[in-house]
Amino acid sequence: MEKQIKRTILEQARDWFESDRKVILARVIQTWGSSPCPVGSDMIVNDKGEFFGSVSGGCVESNVIEECLDLLKNNNSFKQLEFKVSDDNAWNVGLACGGEIKIYIEKINS
Amino acid sequence: MKLEILNEIIQKKSSSQNFALLTNLTNGNSEIFEFGKFLSNDFESYKKQIENYHSLKKNGVIDGTQIFIQNFTKPIEVIIVGAVHIAQYLVDLFKNLNFVITIVDPRKFFITAERFPDVKIINDWPEEIFKKLETDSNNALITLTHDPKIDDPALKHALKNKFFYIGALGSKKTHTKRCQRLKESGFTQEEIASIHGPIGIKLGGKSGPEIALSIVSQLVLESNKLLLNSKK
Repeated sequence: MEKQIKRTILEQARDWFESDRKVILARVIQTWGSSPCPVGSDMIVNDKGEFFGSVSGGCVESNVIEECLDLLKNNNSFKQLEFKVSDDNAWNVGLACGGEIKIYIEKINS
Repeated sequence: MKLEILNEIIQKKSSSQNFALLTNLTNGNSEIFEFGKFLSNDFESYKKQIENYHSLKKNGVIDGTQIFIQNFTKPIEVIIVGAVHIAQYLVDLFKNLNFVITIVDPRKFFITAERFPDVKIINDWPEEIFKKLETDSNNALITLTHDPKIDDPALKHALKNKFFYIGALGSKKTHTKRCQRLKESGFTQEEIASIHGPIGIKLGGKSGPEIALSIVSQLVLESNKLLLNSKK
């Protein structure tokens, strides 16, 4: 476990890839208002739904994971996601901080 | 993104180079950018803007384009003089921050791989070490021995080479004497005042880990100021 914490996100992505996992890289590419993670923050997701890193401090990660799994399922290679201020009906996919973020997800391929 | 690009980033990061990852958001192509490097058709026509963002260490979608640039910049190199117990706590605290650490001490009983696993250690006098190390304003110096014959040459080198952060452990009394010695060696008042001494922000703690935390906090604060100023 300790070793995992010390690994960088990209090294972890490579390790997953080398052990035959499908890997998606998600990065924050634009932010408006107050958002917890700056542009360039990254997170990786594999086909088992495991993830590492962060793009929002917990607000939209679950949704990003689902989007990544969908990307794999649909055999696409990249997609842009947008998240806005949360409303009461969608607490699990909104940003409580009132910010907006754009996230770019892409598959790692050989 | 292709695996070879991922591998290239990992390799470049470990050799502490400045570069950027470019991504064309319309077709998903990625490429590594460095100054002077030839770019493919996806990016070549935006070269000027890319260079501009890269010099400013600015991450983001370049205005008016669908090009995303993420910069990877050389981490700050911190040289710690004195392989004392506070240095051990410093290494722990620096672990998750983007700094490269080198510890130097001429005293062989202090500077051992057992006491400092996973960091670069050099067992020699700072004067000798600085003859070989390449240093500039991307460096920080922390002196911990409060022994003038070990600390002073390091402080002088750091002042001359414009390290962005210089901090020296020692009481106010020790620091006053240190400033006096530097003045006698010909350093200006302004240069001497740039040394953080006594080192660290005021946390009120006296234990080793607390002192280390106050030092790390001060260094992070100063490095963030540096980054903000470069973006203005």
